[in-house]
Amino acid sequence: MVKIRTSGAISIKIGAAFLLSGILSLILSIFYSSQILAFVGLGLTFWGALFLLIRPMRYVEGSLLGSTTTSLYSTIDRLIKDSGYKGDGYYIPPYPKDVYLPDHLKGLKDTVVFVSATNDTNMPSIEQLAEGKFLLENPKGALVIPPGSGLLSQIEKASNIDFAKTQLNELCEIFPRFILENFGLAKEMEMAPGEGQVYLKTLDSLYKNLYSRESNLKSIGLIGCPLVSAVACAIAKASGKAVTIQKQKVSPDGSEIEVWYRIVQG
Amino acid sequence: MNFPLSLSDISLWLAVTAIILLVTSELLYSSPEYSSRVMVDKKLLRMVALGCGLGFLVTVAMRVFYPF
Repeated sequence: MVKIRTSGAISIKIGAAFLLSGILSLILSIFYSSQILAFVGLGLTFWGALFLLIRPMRYVEGSLLGSTTTSLYSTIDRLIKDSGYKGDGYYIPPYPKDVYLPDHLKGLKDTVVFVSATNDTNMPSIEQLAEGKFLLENPKGALVIPPGSGLLSQIEKASNIDFAKTQLNELCEIFPRFILENFGLAKEMEMAPGEGQVYLKTLDSLYKNLYSRESNLKSIGLIGCPLVSAVACAIAKASGKAVTIQKQKVSPDGSEIEVWYRIVQG
Repeated sequence: MNFPLSLSDISLWLAVTAIILLVTSELLYSSPEYSSRVMVDKKLLRMVALGCGLGFLVTVAMRVFYPF
């Protein structure tokens, strides 16, 4: 068996070198009663400890994010093609986290996307959602876990906000800030609420490769990339209503993505 | 064989370090476009900066109550 380990980050090596030389300098300062050595030692020890303390946990190249999600979209593509579904993707809001639900209804706490077989279709019943089924016969379609649900949970965890308890206007202010400042998933992001509609514009999203012609993913137009999907989940949670992606417009180089979400009444 | 720095020296060192770290932390927080490319734990950096600042204030309080 071959066991391979990655070498430690450069910041650890620098931190350790600073720390060791700092401690040595402090010891020498006591022997020689030198203030200069003491100051140097104090500085080196402090910065060494700081380098070790504030080093990043783990960072990976951004392009990996897109490529790891491709398989999920390919699977949904196969499902849609195989079943001949020609409908829309409806993001169905979950029940708030703090609401008590009996064990047989626990499935209602997950956001799901209902990929319908036809355009004019009813939403699945509460029982069907609670059962956690994948393929539905009446209404015909599939219940898929949205690709952006993990991202949304992480945002909620980092911001300590439950989007089920926020207003749509508030969401449109908070969400882009978190995506840009905490996760750096895009260069620019804009969200604007409208009458039964929400508009999203992203610039240089890390998932832009999913929209390229080479990827040729049909499902991306239906449920959006993980970032677009996370926004749809958040809108569904905040409004308490089903949300569908009405229109997506991607610039030729894929850097600018515009999305229009429609909040389904009723 | 005594430690050659007095409390006054350490107070000065803490003040200088706290200023450097607080300014760095504020710069990182105020420019998200650049700070997203800087791979450090910003929250921890701010905590350390505040800790240094508090350490300095403690030495100042010690100077008030027990002049050295």
